[in-house]
Amino acid sequence: MIGQSRVAELETPGAAIEGASTRPAQSYWNESWERLRANRIGMAAGVLILLFALIAILAPLFSLLLTHFQPQTIDLSATFGTPGSPHLLGTDELGRDTLTRLIWGGRVTLGVAFLTVAMSLTVGAGVGLVAGYYGGWLEDVLMRLVDMVLAIPAVFLFILMSILFRPNAITLAMIIAFVGWGNVARLVRGEVLSVKQRDFILATRSIGARDLRLMVKHLLPNVLPVMIVAASLGVGQIILVEAALDFLGLGIQPPTPSWGNMLSNSESYFFHSIYLVIIPGVTIFVTVLASNLFGNAARDAFDPRLK
Amino acid sequence: MLVKYIARRFFASVIVLLGVTLITLVLMDRTRGTYVPGIDLNPSLRPEDIARLRADLGLDRPFYLWYLTWLWGALHGDFGRSMIDGSTVMSHILDRLPNTLELTGTAILIGLVISVPVGVIGALRRGSKTDHGLTVISVAGFAVPQFWMGLLLILVFSVTLEQHGLPWLPSSGAYSAVNGGDFLDRLQHLVLPATVLSFFYVSVWSRFIRSSMLEVLSQDYIRTARAKGMSERRVVYLHGLRNALIPLVTLIGLELPGLVSGGLVVEVVFGWPGIGKLAFERALQYDYTTVMGVTFFAAVLVIAGNLLADVLYGVLDPRIRYG
Amino acid sequence: MAAPLLEVQDLHTVFATKEGMVKAVDGVSFELNPGETLGIVGESGCGKSVTALSIMRLQRPGKIVGGKVLFKGQDLTKVTEDEIREVRGREIAMIFQDPMTSLNPVYRTGWQVAEPLRLHHGVDSKKAMTSAIAMLGRVGIPSPAQRARDYPHQFSGGMRQRAMIAMGLTTTPAVLIADEPTTALDVTIQAQILDLLRQVNREFGTATILITHNLGVVAGMCQRVMVMYAGRIVEAGPTTDVFAHPKHPYTWALLRSIPRLDADRHEPLKPIEGLPPSLVDLPRGCAFHPRCAFKVERCTRDVPALLPVGETQLSACWVTQAGGELKGA
Repeated sequence: MIGQSRVAELETPGAAIEGASTRPAQSYWNESWERLRANRIGMAAGVLILLFALIAILAPLFSLLLTHFQPQTIDLSATFGTPGSPHLLGTDELGRDTLTRLIWGGRVTLGVAFLTVAMSLTVGAGVGLVAGYYGGWLEDVLMRLVDMVLAIPAVFLFILMSILFRPNAITLAMIIAFVGWGNVARLVRGEVLSVKQRDFILATRSIGARDLRLMVKHLLPNVLPVMIVAASLGVGQIILVEAALDFLGLGIQPPTPSWGNMLSNSESYFFHSIYLVIIPGVTIFVTVLASNLFGNAARDAFDPRLK
Repeated sequence: MLVKYIARRFFASVIVLLGVTLITLVLMDRTRGTYVPGIDLNPSLRPEDIARLRADLGLDRPFYLWYLTWLWGALHGDFGRSMIDGSTVMSHILDRLPNTLELTGTAILIGLVISVPVGVIGALRRGSKTDHGLTVISVAGFAVPQFWMGLLLILVFSVTLEQHGLPWLPSSGAYSAVNGGDFLDRLQHLVLPATVLSFFYVSVWSRFIRSSMLEVLSQDYIRTARAKGMSERRVVYLHGLRNALIPLVTLIGLELPGLVSGGLVVEVVFGWPGIGKLAFERALQYDYTTVMGVTFFAAVLVIAGNLLADVLYGVLDPRIRYG
Repeated sequence: MAAPLLEVQDLHTVFATKEGMVKAVDGVSFELNPGETLGIVGESGCGKSVTALSIMRLQRPGKIVGGKVLFKGQDLTKVTEDEIREVRGREIAMIFQDPMTSLNPVYRTGWQVAEPLRLHHGVDSKKAMTSAIAMLGRVGIPSPAQRARDYPHQFSGGMRQRAMIAMGLTTTPAVLIADEPTTALDVTIQAQILDLLRQVNREFGTATILITHNLGVVAGMCQRVMVMYAGRIVEAGPTTDVFAHPKHPYTWALLRSIPRLDADRHEPLKPIEGLPPSLVDLPRGCAFHPRCAFKVERCTRDVPALLPVGETQLSACWVTQAGGELKGA
């Protein structure tokens, strides 16, 4: 019907010009990305995180070219230096360059954070999709399992794990992911439940699509926004957890620098150099803040109800 | 209706609790195999002594036996004895629990008192400078590492002030060992750690309340309320807030486990003699019975918290009560 | 003839959006006499709801940028917040489309129905509840005393809408505005609610404005009808006249598009071609002209005014104002 009238309009001379104007249709994704891009603070935050990640990955390069120091290089003649040249951010109690340690520490902290998020999302989304899609007893069982995992008091688990075996970055990521995937699973399942109601799922099934195809090709893209938001916010939260663990001595052990363990000694040496207390803390703060801002921006961009 | 609802949640909770304990003990099982009690005190134990000590503590029994025995004890409130000092784990827990409750309870209270008005104001003045300012503070507060904030507060309010001869706040403990223990003394010790803890709550809850309020205020029944000719204040507080607070209750219920575990970092930083610090110290000393006991306790609180949240939700939302 | 109860003069309400300024109500004028039933008909987005909301100053986030709403000697667009609140719910009551979401889920229904009484007439809770229960009974809810203690979700759709109507009537307002009161209901319940509204109009003498997109509802219920398109009134008049001989191409096309039981089954349906215009970017001249089967050159240039055409009707159409007839297959 509508197509017919469009043709009719074109045939009548002049109708197309003075005819009714229509807004161009936009897909949900495009609209969301546009909204995200329009949010300048959020985009700046996202760029900042990527920048930090890049610097962390290229740590050896920065060591070589920028700071000219290695993170473990001890120089007892230059302890507690104030920011300046050659130590751009000063030195710690063993004369190690703070900026270098900060960059290498970022490697550890950000590495753990991204790895954890990747693992949490994979496992959590998988479980959430299956549970939400199939429903019934499978959903019940899986969700009980999720409840169980989430009910484990995380902090104590960390303590337990850390004394059982001194964790390295990868095992630490695994531990934190183990505790956290449950939240992702709940989130994804919730989204799946609401998407499942929509008619296009029924329609797709009625043309004979298989379960896996439905889950991956149709449900997953709709669930993706929630996951993106969870991932962005998650990075920040995990950085805080990881830093706290390191600070308590349960995570990455010195002398390997991480933002958390750079702070554990600083209290004792506060009188000698306040920068030791401030700099790693501010770095954590800025990074987590950026992750939160980006996550909020993503949430605002993808949530159709907030229009 | 409501009774059935609660019963179902309770039953599910029990299952979850069993699962949690199982998982935790499985993990703990790894120490069991190699742990030697008292090794720190007397490194020259003979193998037969070691074997005897381990047998006494039942460390060599097969896992399922160990788990069941422990679980049975736990259900009676008997978590065994500390491997370090021999007194019962339960007595340690009971000893420290009030301190933890004091700290986190205060923090939650402060959190509520501040975050509800902040959230409501943010929602009512959406987009204004006030709202932006409050949002910035909330988002920032959410990004500050608790231990760092604690550290800074100690450095400023305890160390520096003391240095300069100004009245300063204590940085550790719940009360002074000497001449302490009265209300004012306890209050002084409470200030800094409670501030750090509540800061986090305020940041999270105020954002939550704000978005909950915004969602509620866009509902049709708010339009109806206005059409009935009532004042904006009545619309917002009587009709709006009442709905907006329901999800908050769930959130707080879920914070209950935070009463124990969330305060751990703050307890350690401030030397607050609570359960968290207990677990932390004992873990470093391999006192696994104590750690197990505290973990179980915390797990019970988590599950109880969930249950409480569900029940409260059911009570407050008539759609569930009379559904 | 008695003085009109409500007089809307050249009302303009706009909404600021990303795409531009939306003229939701673009120069609407009409009168409502005491006790009469007026229908406002139009497609979604034509501005009928916003017009009603503007009368009560509930049009936020839109803004009333021109015109007057005269009621009992006052211009409602200019009075203070306090003064308009006196009018809302007491003199002019409004009921909405979806009773499920329009009632607060956490308070008992009776309490909500009694609220306008407590607010406006300062009645104490017990007496207010008694009146509310009585009103619930009058709108046809069985066992009203018990039902008053129920929550909204415990009612069926039709019962909920009756409760909303009761809520609107407790203060015996002079005007009742019903915005799509039956759209969210089953067809069989629709008929009952319309009966109720007619009964209310007879018994209480409340002037009623019924807003709907359903011509059938208007036919059964309203003495007079206004047809709106793109924020403007395009035709107005007694319902029987407008339906019998519409004087505006839009009304004509609407009536023609309704499938008839007695039509030849092979006859194709006759929809109105084209799409409603974007309210940010209205066409030049008459807003309907791109879809109009009768348009002439003038329609693309000048906006027609709402003028008398025929004995009882008003129409905003150059063609019919000049005496042209609307005929077609």
